[in-house]
Amino acid sequence: MSASDKAGTGLDEPGDKKPKINLNRVEMPKQSPGERKHNFEEVATGYTVEMAMEEARRCIQCKKRNCQQGCPVNIDIPDFIRSLQQGDVESASRILKSKTSLPGICGRVCPQELQCEHACSLNKKGAPIAIGRLERFIADWERMEGAVSTPEIAPSTGKCVAVVGTGPSGLTVASDLAIRGHRVTMFEALHVAGGVLMYGIPEFRLPKEIVQREVQYVASLGVDIRLDTVIGINYSLDELLNTKYHAVYLATGAGLPQFLRVPGENLNMIYSANEFLTRTNLMKAYLYPEYATPVKMGKRVAVIGGGNVAMDSARCAVRLGARDVYIIYRRTRQEMPARFEEVENAEEEGIHFHFLCSPTGFISDGRNNVAAMELIRMQLGEPDASGRRRPVPIPGSEYVLDVDTVVVSLGTSPNPLLASTTPDLETSRRGTVIVGEGGRTSKARVWAGGDIVSGGATVISAMGEGRLAASSMHAFLSDSKR
Amino acid sequence: MKEVVRMFPITAHEHLAPKVHRMTVKAPVVAEKARPGQFVIVIVDEKGERVPFTISGWDTAAGTVEFVYIEVGKTTRQLAALKAGDELAHFVGPLGIAAQVDYFGHVVAVASGYGISALVPILRAYREMGNSITSILQAPDRERLFGREELEAVSDRLILAVGERGEEMATSATRPLRKLLGNHPREPLHRVVVMGSICLMRVISELTRPHAIKTVVHLTPLMVDGTGMCGACRLSIKGANRFACVHGPEFDGHEVDGWDVLMARRCTYADTSVHQQGFQCRGCSQW
Ligand SMILES: Cc1cc2nc3c(=O)[nH]c(=O)nc-3n(C[C@H](O)[C@H](O)[C@H](O)COP(=O)(O)OP(=O)(O)OC[C@H]3O[C@@H](n4cnc5c(N)ncnc54)[C@H](O)[C@@H]3O)c2cc1C
Ligand SMILES: Cc1cc2nc3c(=O)[nH]c(=O)nc-3n(C[C@H](O)[C@H](O)[C@H](O)COP(=O)(O)OP(=O)(O)OC[C@H]3O[C@@H](n4cnc5c(N)ncnc54)[C@H](O)[C@@H]3O)c2cc1C
Ligand code: FES
Repeated sequence: MSASDKAGTGLDEPGDKKPKINLNRVEMPKQSPGERKHNFEEVATGYTVEMAMEEARRCIQCKKRNCQQGCPVNIDIPDFIRSLQQGDVESASRILKSKTSLPGICGRVCPQELQCEHACSLNKKGAPIAIGRLERFIADWERMEGAVSTPEIAPSTGKCVAVVGTGPSGLTVASDLAIRGHRVTMFEALHVAGGVLMYGIPEFRLPKEIVQREVQYVASLGVDIRLDTVIGINYSLDELLNTKYHAVYLATGAGLPQFLRVPGENLNMIYSANEFLTRTNLMKAYLYPEYATPVKMGKRVAVIGGGNVAMDSARCAVRLGARDVYIIYRRTRQEMPARFEEVENAEEEGIHFHFLCSPTGFISDGRNNVAAMELIRMQLGEPDASGRRRPVPIPGSEYVLDVDTVVVSLGTSPNPLLASTTPDLETSRRGTVIVGEGGRTSKARVWAGGDIVSGGATVISAMGEGRLAASSMHAFLSDSKR
Repeated sequence: MKEVVRMFPITAHEHLAPKVHRMTVKAPVVAEKARPGQFVIVIVDEKGERVPFTISGWDTAAGTVEFVYIEVGKTTRQLAALKAGDELAHFVGPLGIAAQVDYFGHVVAVASGYGISALVPILRAYREMGNSITSILQAPDRERLFGREELEAVSDRLILAVGERGEEMATSATRPLRKLLGNHPREPLHRVVVMGSICLMRVISELTRPHAIKTVVHLTPLMVDGTGMCGACRLSIKGANRFACVHGPEFDGHEVDGWDVLMARRCTYADTSVHQQGFQCRGCSQW
């Protein structure tokens, strides 16, 4: 602590000698790669109180509040850090929770390096304040203390709202509207609430207990969560609107896996990342046979793709006992959409990266199991619509890589189930739902947000869109003429 | 705090034949929308696997759904140990697209294993459209013959194809079918529907192909979510990838162009033995 004392709080009286800013952040303890390769426990173990205080003290409390503007849900970051500096974690928690109901999740999985931390004034000179780690610390502290604060709930408005999908976007809308006194019912197709937070992001990055805590918190606000219920099957959207619900929020995510469409892609032991991750995380195949669902995997695993989902798949494969794990990505390290931190973690865990190559086919072992894949080398050409340089195949550069398991992680698009049963819901060519201001869809009394609108983005943007939609829905529901 | 988990009570559990059982479950939301040929996904307890079963009957008024299952592995053995009054942790459905039902004329139905019971709602619907139905019931032996009366009740004619002690399982239904095909088109077959092992569905599809008689099969690849999210159930239909759980499970048997791959994928977790009745590996092209 003493070192940070010297660094100053940035709150010193004017006239004092200008405090020296500490440009190095407090490192967060992690399990060593050798250790964590063999378990599904959380990789980063979180700050202690002392570490959190020390890190908070680095904040100079600048007037500009760039960090807050960098946050998609506009969390009052300088204020909660200030409370931390004063040693008041409880008020820090209150400040945090006034803008996000899922701090334990955001603190762990948000790409802070592109948002708040990127905007941090210290970022120009040295390491930005570790805002994500502090957020996580506060959420974990509250959980440990067991003193979960619940906000005051407005008197019942008598209005009913249906929220379809229990991912971060749906949970945000449900809690926002429940707090404002509306009766909220959530519908979830799976047997567990939480969306990608449960079935996609692995335990070692986001413990499922934390997600379930947040789900319980939303339920404690009076939200009714109906699992095992598929909208589009058990109830159509029109049925919801024509029965008791005054408004509906669609947050069904982007769950439809994309495939490469190359020969041999259906061979046995070729998984979509969704299947591989669902078996491993949601169904807990890493605890098989205690949990009944298995996941079959060989020794040489290729993961195709360069996003967070690919990193998660590769790192699950390591933990499930693969000997060699390859990431196959058609551009270079610079273009990889995965978070830098996760790429680094993956490298530390011994995952091999093959850049500038793309699969052109899969070869069978003679019994329809995958035995190898054929790849072609790529080079970067002109920038494409996304601004990244387009990979172009180099003719004659094909080569073969022996693998016995493949995980295809090329991204997802919205599941067409809901849109196909709702003809008057306007969607794009990619299957995403088209929305206007406040998340309103083309269909009356229906709002949408999260991955079903963006086609796949982040937890925090899914929450941010939920927050805006909740305000718009509340305004609609409060309009007495309705 | 609200109770998030809701259970699904078993209202009846009946033993039909060795390792074959019928389970009736209270699930009003599922019963409300059930149609012939759709399926449910069951999870026995919080550590359980998501396991699909074809709906063999339902009662909308009572809010119950039933399915017939064969004990083959962990989950089905667990199910077999449950009694009426016990509860299932999860029960989702009705999943998949309902069977196509229309007036076709003379329909031949080939049923084996759980298909004997699971075909009944489809045949009943065919019948209501005025079709005439010849059913071929395949069983490995007399002892394991079940569901005869139910099938008879929805058929104009029932042919028994009972193999000797499980020998030549996949082929025993083919004999009577060959005979019927021999009389075609004098006594025409307008449609064939098969529900049984993948081998049987494949063999029957190949038999009818030269006669160009539309043959629908009910495919059962491995599934995880059953809602189109994981792609475990993908298969190739006329060169295009389809998900059995949302585009099927009913497909035109003549349009399936990846039978070998489908069977390999289906056997991912079977390793060396597949114990399912009507799914004998002997002579299977895969192994
Ligand atoms: C493996 C993986 C890793 C990721 N890592 C990160 C990360 O590190 N940081 C980050 O910010 N983002 C990450 N993301 C992205 C992030 O998880 C998503 O952007 C976010 O979860 C989207 O939230 P959502 O609420 O829109 O939908 P989802 O979380 O997808 O939830 C949708 C829910 O709706 C349910 N549903 C679907 N259809 C129906 C229906 N018809 N009826 C009822 N329910 C239905 C689904 O079962 C699901 O539970 C990752 C995604 C994946 C897959
Ligand atoms: C759409 C669909 C409808 C089905 N309808 C029925 C039904 O009405 N009655 C019934 O008894 N079975 C049905 N099945 C098969 C049933 O799902 C499996 O028998 C069940 O999953 C086995 O679970 P288990 O844990 O007991 O066996 P496991 O221990 O998981 O496996 C035992 C054996 O069963 C095989 N098996 C595993 N999963 C499947 C599967 N999805 N389909 C077929 N075999 C599998 C394995 O290859 C293995 O050899 C259906 C499958 C699908 C996909
Ligand atoms: S079972 Fe997952 S997509 Fe069909």
